[in-house]
Amino acid sequence: MTVACPVPVERNWVEALSADGVERDEALAALHELLLRAARFELGRRRAALSHVRGEELGDLAMQAANDAMVALLGKLDTYRGASRFTTWAYKFALLEAGVKVRRRAWQGREVVLEPESWPSFADEGPTVESGPEGAELLTALQRAVREELTPHQRAVFTALALNEVPIDVLAERLDTTRGALYKTLHDARRKLRAELQEAGYMEEENE
Amino acid sequence: MTERNERLERLLGPTGPDIGCEECFVRLDEYVELELEGHDAEARIPGMQAHLDGCPACREEHDSLRALLS
Repeated sequence: MTVACPVPVERNWVEALSADGVERDEALAALHELLLRAARFELGRRRAALSHVRGEELGDLAMQAANDAMVALLGKLDTYRGASRFTTWAYKFALLEAGVKVRRRAWQGREVVLEPESWPSFADEGPTVESGPEGAELLTALQRAVREELTPHQRAVFTALALNEVPIDVLAERLDTTRGALYKTLHDARRKLRAELQEAGYMEEENE
Repeated sequence: MTERNERLERLLGPTGPDIGCEECFVRLDEYVELELEGHDAEARIPGMQAHLDGCPACREEHDSLRALLS
């Protein structure tokens, strides 16, 4: 599903969306059309992840993404400062909503593994950190650091996101949290692990 | 970089300042327009590149916005 996206005519969107009556209604309709176009564009890009989803459902996903993006955008309209064109600013809301829906739909019904038992799948993937004697030591050091240095929550988040490559929005939904909170946890976990491996001499220290 | 190091870097993510998902979303539109206009977007929004390297979901949104505008 590839959708051509002509460059929309720039207008004073904020003024029109803040107006009353017909002017606002027309602006809302034009905005929704713009958001739907972006949502369809994103679904088209992610079509491979949704190969099992029927066309009708794809259309529904695009419409839901546009509707949710519209609500989110209007709730933040007063934060638009003109750092980019309004249409660029608007598109990102639709791309976010569509991307989240694609990832969650693609993982619907799949188990999310939060425990470190998933290490074997990491070790089985072609050339990995455990190839060679030094690599085996590094893997052991990394496993130990994950086990001993991370909090249970950090360990679960690191395992799911970094080891098992679960999409962050899918994990956020399962754990009833936000993408931002999960990324902060992942970032902190990675910093701890990196520091441990540096201290043990497996990695060079960087100047952050 | 060896494959082993690449694998390790992917697991441990980028080093240096990282603006996080919320700030990434707030400034994504500005960042992409700067990139497309040929400016040094990272100099104007430090920490964005590290975040895009460490967060696949935000990276997808960045790439999609770029593609949509190109």
